[in-house]
Amino acid sequence: MILLSFKNFSLSYSKALPPALKNINLDINERESVVVSGMSGAGKSTLCIAAANFLEAFPAVVTSGEILHSNGREKSRVAIVMQNFYAQITYLRSTVFEEIAFPCENLGLSRAEIIRRAEDAISKIRIGHLAYRDPLELSGGEKQKVVLASAIAMEPDLLILDEPLSQLDPESTSYLSDVLSELKSEMALLIAENDPYLTLKVADRVIVLSDGEIISDGKFGEILNSTTAQHLDLPAWTKCISEGVRRKAFRSNVGVNPYELNYKKAISTLKNLK
Amino acid sequence: MKIKYDRVSFSYKSTDALKNISCEFESGSTVLIAGHNGSGKSTFLKLMNGILKPTNGSVYLGEAATKDKRISELASRCALSFQNPDDQLFAATVRKELRFGTENIKGDDSLFDPVVKTLQLRDHLEANPYSLTYALRRLVAIAGSAAMNTPILALDEPTAGLSLREKSFLGDLISLLKSMKKTIAIVTHDLNFLLPFADSLLMLAHGEIQYSGSRDGLFTRDDARALLTRCGINYPIYTRISKALDLDKQCFNAEEILDELIKKRAGAAPVPTSYSQ
Repeated sequence: MILLSFKNFSLSYSKALPPALKNINLDINERESVVVSGMSGAGKSTLCIAAANFLEAFPAVVTSGEILHSNGREKSRVAIVMQNFYAQITYLRSTVFEEIAFPCENLGLSRAEIIRRAEDAISKIRIGHLAYRDPLELSGGEKQKVVLASAIAMEPDLLILDEPLSQLDPESTSYLSDVLSELKSEMALLIAENDPYLTLKVADRVIVLSDGEIISDGKFGEILNSTTAQHLDLPAWTKCISEGVRRKAFRSNVGVNPYELNYKKAISTLKNLK
Repeated sequence: MKIKYDRVSFSYKSTDALKNISCEFESGSTVLIAGHNGSGKSTFLKLMNGILKPTNGSVYLGEAATKDKRISELASRCALSFQNPDDQLFAATVRKELRFGTENIKGDDSLFDPVVKTLQLRDHLEANPYSLTYALRRLVAIAGSAAMNTPILALDEPTAGLSLREKSFLGDLISLLKSMKKTIAIVTHDLNFLLPFADSLLMLAHGEIQYSGSRDGLFTRDDARALLTRCGINYPIYTRISKALDLDKQCFNAEEILDELIKKRAGAAPVPTSYSQ
């Protein structure tokens, strides 16, 4: 079932600037994970904010179209982790546990349910060791994990994440990619991200934005071509193959896919170059 | 300018962020500082330009101990670009933002044009920094620090939020500053992108040094993988590919890997006749 639907949606921040989003048509289905990629300025964050129904906080004007939730019925429950997640910690509470519980309190849940959800989110994100620390004293990456846990604790239908792993160490990036791919069984994900490893692990679908327009929409392996590749960061092994093709280093380019995403296939192709 | 940490500890209210840190970086070298979240990386960097002063021990920039100098004096030795660019930006235009640091240390502005050109900020000079995308705000924050033309530049997570295009601009800036013999300290999780620029590495876990030494020295150690794991860092991807392809040399990007592969193929080819004469 369609959870959220952009219909001919266009948006501008100012008359002096080109539109930030142009004629976006996009359906996000229940329990589907969609990764939005593209260069900086392509409209990724704006798309996230619009999908979160959070435009009121920004000086943006919708110039055409609309966003429909759950086939026009009541609004889907949405949680967002913004690119500037630092702005999302309230610092009203003196422990991480209470900070994570705070959005659930605002949802009006029972005390027992709030505690269950906070504990569940803390264990999913593996920040038990931070639970009784003061949010003010956390490092940047630790704060990002706390905001992620707060959003997950809301158990939304749609979780929107704008570069959710930008400040995390590689080990955390790795296990949180797994956590996100498991979350797909519970909620839909809309993730603005250029990290190819996270995209490979989590994305059912990849959307490529350029100058506010969707220029590609499909599975990661299927949308890669000479046009889209300029907009996307690719895994290291894929870059090696592309570099080999560019240098005409292979005896023959027959059967060599310059956008090979599979690690094992890429390594065996590179071995054949010898 | 040489940097030296001598038995440095730092504690926040209830947290010991760094414990007994001793290390040195040569003048003109580029060092990457890596470690798990909360390992003390940002604290390490803030001690470098004197925003924080050690609880115990001393940090030296050249011959000067940071604890003996005011932060305004240290600003002309070490410029720091913050983890969150929004903590740093406040001027009404990008141009003013980029001039601010230089004017405050009464420095020379000879790096203004090269920095603007390298980071491709020319078209944004009259824009309000807060009207720019996050990636551009980060570039502006980095540019403002780099334009100060200090002997030491410290960058905290400079690649976070950048797409491919801005990352390549940042790479160009680091290459330019390296060629000018600047000492550069970079806190990062993005080793895959930054390792090609690095001379040395500092690895932290739980506020303690796990490794301090040359980049290439780390990857020849038998316990390199265990050491990286302890710091919450995966084996760098190009190092993994180098190993999978049995390359003799550690490679740190796709170009280096192709160079090595092609060299290897040439070596495996029959001996050219000119050699057999």
